[in-house]
Amino acid sequence: MDNLFLPRVARIAAVRDETPDTKTFDLVLRQGGEPRDFTFSPGQFMELSVFGVGEAPFCFASSPTRTECIQTTVRRTGVLTDAMHTLAAGDEVGVRGPCGNGFDVAAATAKDLLFIGGGIGLPPLRGLIWNVLDERDRFGKVTILYGARTPTDLVYKDELEEWARRGDVEIHVTVDRGETGWTGNVGMVPVLFDRTELKPATTLAYVCGPPIMIKFVVQELLMRGFSPDSVISTLERMMQCGVGKCNHCCIGHRYVCRDGPVFTYRQIREMTE
Amino acid sequence: MHSNAARTIGKERMREWIGRLMERAEVLAPTSARAGDIILRRISSPLEVQWGGDIPLLPPKQAVLPQTDPLVSIGRGPGGFVVEPVYDETPRVLFGLRSCDVKGIEFLTRVHEYDLADAAYLRRAAAVTSVSVACVAPCAFGFCICCDAGPFLADSFDVQLTDLGDRFLAEVGSEKGGRLLEPSADLFRTGRADEVALRHELEEAAKRAFGPETCHFASAMRRVSVGRVSAELWDEIADTCLECGACNFVCPTCYCFSVKDQARDGRWVRCRTWDSCQFRAFTLEASGHNPREAHRERVKRRFFHKVSAQYFRRDGAVGCVGCGRCVKVCLGTSDMPAVVAAIRKGEWHG
Repeated sequence: MDNLFLPRVARIAAVRDETPDTKTFDLVLRQGGEPRDFTFSPGQFMELSVFGVGEAPFCFASSPTRTECIQTTVRRTGVLTDAMHTLAAGDEVGVRGPCGNGFDVAAATAKDLLFIGGGIGLPPLRGLIWNVLDERDRFGKVTILYGARTPTDLVYKDELEEWARRGDVEIHVTVDRGETGWTGNVGMVPVLFDRTELKPATTLAYVCGPPIMIKFVVQELLMRGFSPDSVISTLERMMQCGVGKCNHCCIGHRYVCRDGPVFTYRQIREMTE
Repeated sequence: MHSNAARTIGKERMREWIGRLMERAEVLAPTSARAGDIILRRISSPLEVQWGGDIPLLPPKQAVLPQTDPLVSIGRGPGGFVVEPVYDETPRVLFGLRSCDVKGIEFLTRVHEYDLADAAYLRRAAAVTSVSVACVAPCAFGFCICCDAGPFLADSFDVQLTDLGDRFLAEVGSEKGGRLLEPSADLFRTGRADEVALRHELEEAAKRAFGPETCHFASAMRRVSVGRVSAELWDEIADTCLECGACNFVCPTCYCFSVKDQARDGRWVRCRTWDSCQFRAFTLEASGHNPREAHRERVKRRFFHKVSAQYFRRDGAVGCVGCGRCVKVCLGTSDMPAVVAAIRKGEWHG
């Protein structure tokens, strides 16, 4: 019987600024020197701790197909994330997990995949996107729709360009408000739907972003013929333990940390507080 | 296997028995405190045990799930941070518990075994043995009879005592209970048929002494489980709640917690601490969004977790053992029997 609360110590191998308030951390688990004994699925999350400050849940932003490090992307929003943002390469943090159910990658085999991200909602999708791209032959058409408030708020800017250059990914990016030099799309994420051809019957749609964006995107998908079973999202709640004990993340009798965080829209629709 | 045969022990021998238990374990028992309160705490002499009197102010969950429960020790070593699990496997005897409180611990153990087993909780609980005293009459606020948690227990106990006047009948309900009695076998003798018969008479009399005003969980469960309680009724119930969290903290089955790093002697101890689903911050997210912003949502949450069929199916019991502590401590009237009655009737007469 393992101690559910015992973190592993991880060393920060690198820190990258994504936006003025968002950083990506490369983490290498100290035991064994590499994370190969640490397996997770895209969509699962870890409880990340800054020792002495506390612990909170963060998604794996990297793919399990990339074993050199695990990555997470953190926006400054509170005490713990403020502390995270003061850390640099060489510092140590605690990693506990993986927690939660994750995306069902096997069920996506041979399907067309539509990723729709808003703002800081791209990181949980990025793990699955790289998983899919690293095993590209297993899947059908891959489409990525991504939006942020401003061009400055776009995360993974280099990768957005890299994905655009690949011939096997269709990607459309938009911002709510343009800035000087921005020549791309302007408008909320749903404006991107008309840029691509959707095949609802054979496509799984993965939607992550702020609640208001999810609401409009899901409405749009259902209107365009997607089944509630084919629309997949991740839920976020205040969490303390990540292992189904503390009861902070309950929605009815469901635990976001154990039954989720990945749910189909049909499941989400049937949940009540 | 333990022997189920009932034994008896003369009351004049209880001090000797408790003294022997204290040689092998920490013994916690009801003791008398200031202002006439009874509190369960570690005793340093068998004379401190308070026999009879009110139910202890707090349930014995502090013995299995302390208010501040160290989980992980975090220190610095030459090679970086050193993290180690913290376990407490101190042998403890909870002496003189009420039946409802034995059921409370059983409930807590079940939820910590469920799904991912919680080693920190389970190791501490495994070292705890209870000696409960069956209740021969209802207590002031208790409704254990509605929760299958008293006044006498048919199972779930380690050792159950029944007061027969000048002696106690002792029943062993578990292997742990058997091990507790074994070294003191010389203080007990085999129970006679008339003693066992008297125990059953006392149980029947105790059950009959509960009035018809019981807690009707079944109809409340039906309504809560399918969301058939109006927002207006939850609002009315919430209006009588001061959001103090006392009902949670005195509840034998409440176990919600938060995790905090506490500084101690140049290192940190990551602890779980009791939390309350009635606090607004319980579900407050870093973004400022709160899915249970309305007070009625928090009250609804408490009673959904306690009495819904969804949780009943998972935990095998309602999250209530009928101890009546929430009735006693609630400064308003949003205690379990009052809320269950309001839900059943569909209206609030608080």
